[in-house]
Amino acid sequence: MTDKRARNEIIKENSHQLRGTLAEGLQDVVTGNIAEDDHQLIKFHGSYIQDDRDVRGERAKKKLEKAYSFMLRLRIPGGLTTPKQWLALDRIASEYANGTLRLTTRETFQYHGVIKSNLKRTMQAINGAALDTIAACGDVNRNVMTAANPYLSKAHKQAYDLGKAISEHLLPKTGAYHEIWLDGEKVEEKVRKAGKSEEPLYGTHYLPRKFKTVIAVPPDNDVDIFAHCLGFIAVLEKGEVVGWNVTVGGGMGMTHGDTNTFPRTAEFLGFCKPEQAIDVAEKVLLVQRDWGNRENRARARFKYTVEDRGIDNIRAEVEKRLGYKLGKPKPFKFEGTGDPLGWRQTLDAKKDEDKKWHLTLFVENGRIKDVPGRTMRSALREIAEAGYCDFVCTSNQNVILANVASKFTSKIEAILKAHGVSTEVSSGLRANSMACVSLPTCALGLAESERFLPELLTSLEDSLDKAGLRSDDIVVRMTGCPNGCARPYLAEIGFVGRNPGLYNLYLGAAFDGSRLSKLYAQDVGKERIIELLDPIFLKYAKERKSGEHFGDFVIRAGLVKATTAGNNFHDNIKLA
Amino acid sequence: MTVTPLLPKNAPFSADDIEALNKVVARSTPQQRSWLAGFFAGFEAAQGGGAAPAAAAKPRAPLTILYASESGNCESLALKAKKIAQKHGLDAKVFDMADADMALLAKSKNVLVFAATWGEGDPPARAVDFYAALMSDAAPRLDDTRFAVCALGDTAYAQFCAVGKAIDARLEALGGKRVANRVDLDLDFAKQAVAWSDDALAKLAPADTAASGTVVHVDFTGGAHADDDAEPAFTAETPLEAEISALVNLNGSGSSRETWHVEFAFDDARFQYQPGDAIGVMPENDPELVDQLLQATGLASDASLLLKIQKGYDVTTLSRAAVDNYAKLTGRSDVQALLDGDAFAKFSSDRQLVDLFETYSEKLTPEQLLGLLRPLPGRLYSVASSLKAHPGEAHLLVGAVRWNSHGKKRKGVASTFLADRRKAGSTARIYVKPNRHYRLPADGNTPIIMIGAGTGVAPYRGFIEERSEQGATGKSWLFFGERNFTNDFLYQLEWQDYKASGALTNIDVAFSRDQPEKIYVQHRLWERRDALLSWIADGARIYVCGDEKGMAKDVDATLVKILGGPKGDEDAGRAKLKELTKANRYQRDVY
Repeated sequence: MTDKRARNEIIKENSHQLRGTLAEGLQDVVTGNIAEDDHQLIKFHGSYIQDDRDVRGERAKKKLEKAYSFMLRLRIPGGLTTPKQWLALDRIASEYANGTLRLTTRETFQYHGVIKSNLKRTMQAINGAALDTIAACGDVNRNVMTAANPYLSKAHKQAYDLGKAISEHLLPKTGAYHEIWLDGEKVEEKVRKAGKSEEPLYGTHYLPRKFKTVIAVPPDNDVDIFAHCLGFIAVLEKGEVVGWNVTVGGGMGMTHGDTNTFPRTAEFLGFCKPEQAIDVAEKVLLVQRDWGNRENRARARFKYTVEDRGIDNIRAEVEKRLGYKLGKPKPFKFEGTGDPLGWRQTLDAKKDEDKKWHLTLFVENGRIKDVPGRTMRSALREIAEAGYCDFVCTSNQNVILANVASKFTSKIEAILKAHGVSTEVSSGLRANSMACVSLPTCALGLAESERFLPELLTSLEDSLDKAGLRSDDIVVRMTGCPNGCARPYLAEIGFVGRNPGLYNLYLGAAFDGSRLSKLYAQDVGKERIIELLDPIFLKYAKERKSGEHFGDFVIRAGLVKATTAGNNFHDNIKLA
Repeated sequence: MTVTPLLPKNAPFSADDIEALNKVVARSTPQQRSWLAGFFAGFEAAQGGGAAPAAAAKPRAPLTILYASESGNCESLALKAKKIAQKHGLDAKVFDMADADMALLAKSKNVLVFAATWGEGDPPARAVDFYAALMSDAAPRLDDTRFAVCALGDTAYAQFCAVGKAIDARLEALGGKRVANRVDLDLDFAKQAVAWSDDALAKLAPADTAASGTVVHVDFTGGAHADDDAEPAFTAETPLEAEISALVNLNGSGSSRETWHVEFAFDDARFQYQPGDAIGVMPENDPELVDQLLQATGLASDASLLLKIQKGYDVTTLSRAAVDNYAKLTGRSDVQALLDGDAFAKFSSDRQLVDLFETYSEKLTPEQLLGLLRPLPGRLYSVASSLKAHPGEAHLLVGAVRWNSHGKKRKGVASTFLADRRKAGSTARIYVKPNRHYRLPADGNTPIIMIGAGTGVAPYRGFIEERSEQGATGKSWLFFGERNFTNDFLYQLEWQDYKASGALTNIDVAFSRDQPEKIYVQHRLWERRDALLSWIADGARIYVCGDEKGMAKDVDATLVKILGGPKGDEDAGRAKLKELTKANRYQRDVY
């Protein structure tokens, strides 16, 4: 019988619990690369090897290998960091990375441009800030996102606490990370002799594919609950969490030209009590561990397991493993996926003096950097040095200066002003925009993303002005490939790169994140995109009903059919 | 009537041998016969006695030729002088000051010195000990010694020919008799040096010796020089026009460096070099700079003058001599004042000729201008290839030199000549400058340790190519330093291949700007000290190539520390390093 398993399964199996030859590879100073199999394994340690695709053409002629470097992604459950941690992260960006901090779409940071000789010390510096990169990538439970800002209300704090607990509970337990990066004790042999497994939860093969968990507090769906493998939606009574609606089977990625792959919105598994949540998370993960597809990685995400087995079978299996039944989902309402920008006060403090302030700052595509006239990175560093606030990374690539005492708000504003950082955003479209990294570092990118979206939006803002829509909230997202890091299929306007300069244009997702979009135009460049959207903006401005969102309007106007579930994402397409 | 010298039938040889020998002897010149006579005399002597030569050679006046050489120029002049000495009936022995001492000097009756000045008026590294001894109070009296000194230097430096001048004065102070006036030569020394040698040797030679009919002394004890003194076919005076077949900036986009890999192709088999040698490039000036020079001297419209200067004259070096001549020519007291006290040092600091002309903007005639300029010297680069690996090619690694000073953009003459004004398919004039003290060990089994930063890695590419072609089995270890791993790892893919094939055993790298603290090659040496000591114990030869001030000094100090053993005994370490130097196991090519 031939082994039909995907190559990654063999790599995991032979890896000695994610050790591979990483330690040896770090010693080889003549190359910035690591062994091929280690490319897969290092993901579990929170890192991807990448190369600068802008310069690929010139390297061999210059007798240089590809310009390899590593992307390092942190694990920050709920995105919360202290000012001290922020300063450490900021320093690492200068000392070892490319001088920027990149907020991801999943409430964490990543660094780009860390070369191999600096990998270990960067890991150690991160560890020195009481943070890590474990399981930030790889076939494991990734960074857990929670409704932005644990200081906003008691419920937000409960969501944050649960997220953090799940992240810890589902963390790989292998000693590989500590051995390789932190010079920790070598434990593999010891554990083996004791007849134990290093990974009681994950075993030797971990999950078939990545696994993403999020926690939302209605009415905000900032974490995009339906885009994730596993979700918990807070059910509130008098501002207290009395339980969680559990969702499963959401996910974004697909492959161009393969209709067997598709983005999928999550379904409801049931309701659980607060004290059951961690157990539920574990059992859902174990079902995917045992039932997920280990032969075809393009079909290995949990969303396909749910699609193929059916939600009822999944529920029955989870309940069987739990030993109890889940409740029926309770009613709730989401209003949107975006971050309310600007200052906000704590929602539920009893006394006025307990009310703290929280400033959500728009960060274009999550890239915190200094540019002439707008030195955001320096501004945030100065604020962190003063210790005015904690910092929260949001799932929309923004940052919240959280838990600010009233007396410091004007000081923060003064610092931001001095650094040319405005709290205003040029349009509602831009304020609700996200783009993935893509070129030049991401190996998967087929087209530009974060380097292109800003200028595209500037052009689209002219169209918005014509239609009088500049201040309307419209969700727009772009990715350089179909894997969907910026969750483009849940944007009212989504762009997915196909070829350099060419994108598929998707329309019609719900503003609250509950409905996927539909392909509207294929392989369109900048000019054509503007040509297509310009009249739609005008039509929307003229014909929309009161309170009607753009994504709903384009369906009512017949421009695209509604996608009601992942399995009809590829159906009923009529290209413009 | 001419008598043909033939061996008599009763000579102690077989009939066949007599016939064979007579064939050669019959067509020999008197000079060749003299040489043969000397050869056999010397051969027997070198064999440790034997029968005294029958030929009654007239005793020849002994001559000691001493040289202090850094780049090899003085060494090559010394070897040339030795040949000329034969003509003058002198029995010359050539000594590197590195191998000479005061005892040798004290017993030498006739002394010819070639001394280079290095850096800011220093003697060449290998001559430091001899120089110090000569200058010390313990130096012997030289009352019976006759001498002449040739000083080599570079007018671009303030202390022009300082070492030669000091030796010349010291020999006199110790009682020596100067038979020929010292000559101080700039980079264009070649012709003048030979003329001077001929003149000085004639004066050193005993009055009654005639050139003809004497036995030529053949030196068997002179060591390395005997078979390695062939003049290259192409010299600075007679360069080869070669095609540039490749010209690539090896640094990745975004690098702060600009290092060009230049491949020259030629089909003249006489162009021979060995790894470790230098290749000279005869550059041409930046026409823009020449134009500025002409503008400043009121000669802007003279196109033929521009071309002449562009191709043949040094327009960058602001020397004391140039200022002096300019002052005399213009009669300006304010220019003359530049030579007072430290005014010249102040003014000339990071300035060039064009600044002088622009500051005082005096009109000159073409002849006056040319009179102020020295000939354009060639620039030397360590060859980065092996002829065995690349027949008909020579590869160079050239760091483009660019900087700003006094509000002007400045460019290195030869490096930007190649980088900016040549392209693949263009030609340039090149020549070979042998570097006899920077060579691979003859024995391919000898381990080699190669230490270099930046363009200092060039010779090691040639070394490894050569060893790889030879199938040499000796271990090799490269220590390479630059600024950034990603963009400045010169020849990275080739080192990877050589590492994979085993031609390169070890490689350690130091990229100074990849992390908050600076890491240089000497830090890597220190980290690997135990392994290094074991390689040295196994007979490894150590090479250092690159910047003297920036790297070689620190490497030297680190090697002293390592060789000092676990206690870090610096004196012991220094002594050990000296030993290695004497044994040719510590070779440096620094600039």
